[in-house]
Amino acid sequence: MPLITLDALTKRYPGVTALDALTLEIEPAIVGLVGSNGAGKSTLLKILLGLLAPTSGRATIFDLDVRTRGTEIRQFVGYLPEHDALPPDTSATDFVSHMAEISGLPRAAARERTAEVLRHVGLYEERYRAMGGYSTGMKQRVKLAQAIVHDPRLLLLDEPTNGLDPAGRDEMLELVQRTGTEFGMTVVVASHLLGEIERVCDFLVAIEGGRLLRAARLATFTEQTGVLAVEVDDGADELAAALVSRGLDARAVGRTVLVAFEDDRPYDLVRDAVADLDLPLIRLEQRRHRLEDLFAEAHSGEPAA
Amino acid sequence: MTGPRRDAGQAWAVGQPRAAAAGVAPASSVGSAGGSIYDLGYRNYEGPRLGRPHAIRALFAQTLKVCYGIGRGGRAKLAPFILLAFATIPAIVAVGAFALIRQVGGGQFAEEASPVRHDTYYEIVATLVTLFCAVQAPEALGRDQRHQLLSLYFSRALRRSDYALARFAGIAAAILVFVLIPQLVIFFGLVLSADDVAAEFGREAEFLPGIFGQALVLAGLLGGLSAVVSAYTPRRVYATTAVIVVLSVTVVVSRVLIDLGARSLATVLALLSPVDLLSATNALWFGSRPESRVVFMADLPLEAFLAAAVVIVAACVGILVRRYERIAA
Repeated sequence: MPLITLDALTKRYPGVTALDALTLEIEPAIVGLVGSNGAGKSTLLKILLGLLAPTSGRATIFDLDVRTRGTEIRQFVGYLPEHDALPPDTSATDFVSHMAEISGLPRAAARERTAEVLRHVGLYEERYRAMGGYSTGMKQRVKLAQAIVHDPRLLLLDEPTNGLDPAGRDEMLELVQRTGTEFGMTVVVASHLLGEIERVCDFLVAIEGGRLLRAARLATFTEQTGVLAVEVDDGADELAAALVSRGLDARAVGRTVLVAFEDDRPYDLVRDAVADLDLPLIRLEQRRHRLEDLFAEAHSGEPAA
Repeated sequence: MTGPRRDAGQAWAVGQPRAAAAGVAPASSVGSAGGSIYDLGYRNYEGPRLGRPHAIRALFAQTLKVCYGIGRGGRAKLAPFILLAFATIPAIVAVGAFALIRQVGGGQFAEEASPVRHDTYYEIVATLVTLFCAVQAPEALGRDQRHQLLSLYFSRALRRSDYALARFAGIAAAILVFVLIPQLVIFFGLVLSADDVAAEFGREAEFLPGIFGQALVLAGLLGGLSAVVSAYTPRRVYATTAVIVVLSVTVVVSRVLIDLGARSLATVLALLSPVDLLSATNALWFGSRPESRVVFMADLPLEAFLAAAVVIVAACVGILVRRYERIAA
């Protein structure tokens, strides 16, 4: 049974449609939610948390409706918001254990879990100091700690590597991966940085303009297609047309023709087409189909994959 | 709700990753930022989850603490405790004076002549209570908006209205403590310094309904008004100023109106002015003459002022809940 189900979930603001009839099921896994800024990622997370009400459609977590069973669901959900969310005059220990209690943990358990979780995110003696003096990296760790202190079953992370330096990013991503594997939580990581998402997720949901581009195991995103880039001095459009007439999925981008391929067949066809048209061939290059291409296609108005 | 994992099994049939993770104890230490040389591994929480009622209680208790700066470093305690000290010192001095005078045998006379009594105490500390509200209510409410904490609260086992009510109750409780401490100092000071403790207790106990009744009205009214102002004014400086203005401007206006001869309008304002309302309810509880000139001149039974106070408290709570139902988080 899916952990999260979305059924024609729609959120409209005056003049903007943030989510457009999103229908989707998410199974327990580390799920990457990718899309450019403004694609609707944060909106989706906020609807799941009950922070925003959807305009129409339905969303359930653990098979409970997020609009009516919010307080029950949220005992088992953790959230790391994109923005700063820490009171500077409070220590990490006091803050995280308070947040654990607000999630329903008894006081003693909240204290105990806080100490444990802060150690897991790598905060030691600093945890008794007021958070106003923390570095961005430390603040981000506290935000993660408050999100997992009540041992949620579902963890929603909104841009968890925001503002971190490269080393900090690596550590945060490692932590995210651990929460999914070792801690046994289902994690939804929203990010506009595909490179990061690729490193930690097993499942990928790509949205753009509030619409679902694609949802699949990460493996199928990368293995399924390759792209053959054929660079010619001129006549790229003719070559693309010739290849399409031979049954290939080809399109011209500037002086390059991109050919989708799943087997070796296109190589011969490209060679023949180039010879027939007598075009000056400069380069023939196999590109790994990268996630960015999904978005390039979406922006140029073509259906994704 | 105990043991939710198991009894909710059919609702969230995740199980697998949990089972796989149980007992796994990798030796790696993430971040390698400290001196830990061993790692017990992550342990899942299997204890009770007390849900919404516990969350509300915890938020209420934390609000009370925030109002007195507890858990927020020394500087945050400065304002509330200095104000509380100022409010309590007259009570301590009065009790000490009684005790001395009683020793020379002039007890009854001193009590009646003293300006510091249960029924006069509200007037003595009114300004201090107003300042306490103006400084601490913005701490309890504005902080969460300034530091964008609302999304963390609302994404937990709380409803938005729970948040509003728990914060309001916490602020009101903090005010209650503020006004009850000096009253109880007088109460116990008089009882314990008396020659006949039992008789004195019996005499003093008659004041108890008044003490608690007035404290409750005061806490609800000033707590409600300052909470509403703070909820709409995240910036602390503006909130503090606004609370002082709201709590005192009507008094000034009604005084001016009376001086101008517009009595009926002044009467209406008296029913809206917290200072006048509290002056009237104080007189009602203790059976004394109201201090406020406006209340005295308004041709209304004192019960009307109590009713008006209750209506205002209810309106404040309603506005507060509505504010948090709609605020973006």
